[in-house]
Amino acid sequence: MSEAPHTVKSYEEELKNLNSNIVKMGGFCEEALVKATQAIISRNSDNAETVIKNDEKIDKFETLVEQQVVNLIALRQPMAIDLRETVTALKISSDLERIGDLAKNISKRTLLLNENLPKNLIDALVRVSSNVQKQLKSILDAYLDRSSAMAVNVWEGDEYIDDLTNLCMQEVIKYLKENEKNLDDGTHLLFVTKNIERIGDHTTNIAEQIYYLVTGEYLEGDRPKGTEPVVTGEK
Amino acid sequence: MKKNGVNMIKISAKNVDVFYGKKQALFNINLDIEENQVTALIGPSGCGKSTFLRCLNRMNDVIDICKVQGEIVINDFNINDKGCDVVRLREKIGMVFQKPNPFPKTLYENISYGPSIHGMAQSKQEMDEIVEISLKKAALWEEVKDRLHEPGTGLSGGQQQRLCIARAISVQPEVILMDEPCSALDPIATAQIEELIDELKKEHTIIIVTHSMAQAARVSQRTGFFHLGELIEHGLTDKIFKNPDNTKTQDYITGRFG
Amino acid sequence: MNKNKEKLLAKRYSSEKRFQFLGKSAIFMALLFLAFFIFKIFSTGYTAFQKTWLIVPVNFDVETMYLDANPSKEDLEDADYFEISLQSMFNLDKNANEKQQNELKKMVSYFFEREIKQELINDPSLLGKTKEIYLTASDDLDQVFKGNYPRDLPEKQRRVTDYQLKIFDQLVEQGKVESKFNLSFFTYPDSREAELAGIASSFMGSIFSILVCLAIAFPVAVLAAIYLEEFAPKNRFTDFIEVNINNLAAVPSIVFGLLGLGILLAVFQLPRSTPLVGGITLSLMTLPTIIIACRASLKAVPPSIREAALAMGASRMQTTMHHTVPLSMPGTLSGTIIGLAQALGETAPLILIGMVAFVNTIPGSPMDPAASLPVQIYIWAESAERGFVEKVSACIMVLLGFLIIMNLFAQIIRHKFEKKWS
Repeated sequence: MSEAPHTVKSYEEELKNLNSNIVKMGGFCEEALVKATQAIISRNSDNAETVIKNDEKIDKFETLVEQQVVNLIALRQPMAIDLRETVTALKISSDLERIGDLAKNISKRTLLLNENLPKNLIDALVRVSSNVQKQLKSILDAYLDRSSAMAVNVWEGDEYIDDLTNLCMQEVIKYLKENEKNLDDGTHLLFVTKNIERIGDHTTNIAEQIYYLVTGEYLEGDRPKGTEPVVTGEK
Repeated sequence: MKKNGVNMIKISAKNVDVFYGKKQALFNINLDIEENQVTALIGPSGCGKSTFLRCLNRMNDVIDICKVQGEIVINDFNINDKGCDVVRLREKIGMVFQKPNPFPKTLYENISYGPSIHGMAQSKQEMDEIVEISLKKAALWEEVKDRLHEPGTGLSGGQQQRLCIARAISVQPEVILMDEPCSALDPIATAQIEELIDELKKEHTIIIVTHSMAQAARVSQRTGFFHLGELIEHGLTDKIFKNPDNTKTQDYITGRFG
Repeated sequence: MNKNKEKLLAKRYSSEKRFQFLGKSAIFMALLFLAFFIFKIFSTGYTAFQKTWLIVPVNFDVETMYLDANPSKEDLEDADYFEISLQSMFNLDKNANEKQQNELKKMVSYFFEREIKQELINDPSLLGKTKEIYLTASDDLDQVFKGNYPRDLPEKQRRVTDYQLKIFDQLVEQGKVESKFNLSFFTYPDSREAELAGIASSFMGSIFSILVCLAIAFPVAVLAAIYLEEFAPKNRFTDFIEVNINNLAAVPSIVFGLLGLGILLAVFQLPRSTPLVGGITLSLMTLPTIIIACRASLKAVPPSIREAALAMGASRMQTTMHHTVPLSMPGTLSGTIIGLAQALGETAPLILIGMVAFVNTIPGSPMDPAASLPVQIYIWAESAERGFVEKVSACIMVLLGFLIIMNLFAQIIRHKFEKKWS
């Protein structure tokens, strides 16, 4: 945001409010991802239930942000930075909402998993998840600071996430192949992995939005892709 | 009209300075205006946008203490040259003002005034045609065709402004200057004028000064932002309103001024 | 706090009421004065529109008039009417001595001979017959009949003798005295005799003066105003001119009279006492008024109209002539008429250029000597005869009527033009 405040104070208030709602929403998403991951590690159903409950809040925030954006457009006709602020808020909120959904989905699946899972599998999963958490945190920081450099950083970091996801997938597939009994858990774990990867993707989306918000231009070039998913190449 | 996919430059202002007595009102303005496009000039009050507009048809001549320096080239001809004939220039460059200012005469006389002083019609019939065409172009014909000989001041504000536009286009100018043409009109009349501007740009180059940024955004293809007598930024309207380069421009169009 | 506020509010209201009361009483006072003035003038003046006639039998005796039995028209013109006229007056009292006969003669105006002659020329068949003819009574008897003359004064202080009064009363008893509308007040020129004095010469003099004044002042003033307002550059010199025009408007009118006397009469040798000189002098006086009015109404034309015309490619001249000047005309015209009305009432400069001279002919052109209405008022007010008192008021009434008509005309022009232009 520019340094000078708006002449119309209530307009300024509304934009600030929108901004803080996005930040709060981001905070809930971050927490959801952390708790969902902990639920996998510690097999703690409390954590999982918290995440599921949190999602309702996130959904409410999304509706709130949407209303605020529509109001701003209808009543204030924002221009330039304010327009980008408003429009990106809408898009970021829908990405965040998806992140919340995905975290909820992970938590639901966690509840269905067996107690004993191979350690290397969990490790791989945690590795992806903590990296995505890092991405999510820094993208929220980037949003707060209006930093296009940080956004680009996150955007480029998605490559690494994809790589880690592939590794994790390989572990899951290995686990599946070990025993037919692993079929249930394995399938859930596949989805969990994929969900974490999707969260990473949404984070990247947000990075693009922030870049547009700050610079007014679109992030050019192809989205960074990790190594070709060798294992899933059979699809 | 287009050369190599680029719009032709119709008016080119180079290093234009304007002084009111000792006070300088415009500082070194450089602006190219493209043909058959609508160029909007925006900026806070007293920023010099109207002054610049009035340089283009030398309306500033009327003010004794006003002095214009620099070049304004229209059709390869510097209008600030001593050899420039103001009457001819104004025949080529029409103007519509902030407040609708029809002559206190009949509608017909309002439109026929320009063509008659420039000797554009040889007969009554030709004049009738010019009047009809001008009114049609200004989207006023249907509303007034039955009362062409009633006073122009009896129309509504919006109709009066369209009458003024019809009067301006009656002499087939190449350029139409509009100085806040909608500031005295209600939203419906404003919309009608905006639609008209869109239509007129097919045949004329239009430069519009406006206080309404939304209007500039709606009607123009290019926008110039003036502040304290300087042209801060100019470029595609899209760009100016979505992502201006200059923070002053941004502050102005987002309502963060002062 | 609240109480103070209430008090303050009451104070504010009462001060407004006080102000309104003062304003209303000021208007009331002004109206009162005006009403008094008008009442005074009308009450003294209305009788001047009536004239007293003595009906006297006249014997058109052929022999006394030294005429043939069948005279030609020329003969009638050349005939001697004095004898029969005298005779008919003497016949009012057949026993009158010489002094009384002289008094009898003075009961009618010295026009009585002409009145009798006119009667015969109008109807030659009267020759040799006797007819009762209306003769203008002398101004003193006129006043007596109108009741303005105090009869109880001692005879020596009266201009009417007891004998005249006696005869007059007899005539009144016989119904031989009549009061009729005083047409001669409008058709006769000035005269030393109040019963014969009229305003024709001064009225025409005023009209000619005003026409000359209009013909000179209007074009000059309008051109000057247009140039100054629309074309002249604004610099120190034009400022100087503007200040001087305003000063000119404040110069006492008698100074213009001196100017007319010194330049028009002395240098250019124009004829004295003429409406031409009067008109030129008055035009000098009216000039600044019209210039100021015209400039003000040019200034009042919205600049947007000028801009519109200029932006259409009209030259400055076209802009001015096609748009600005027509729009300013109502104001200019009403300013002009007000200026002329002022000039119409002006006395001092006309006295200086000799329009105060006694003129007993009706002017046919601006080059003939004439008086003017206000000067006529001045002359009559100076006169000693009682008969002129009512004439002064009557003349004021005519002048006021003239002014009212002019102002009405100004209003009508203004109204008509303004309707057309907006």
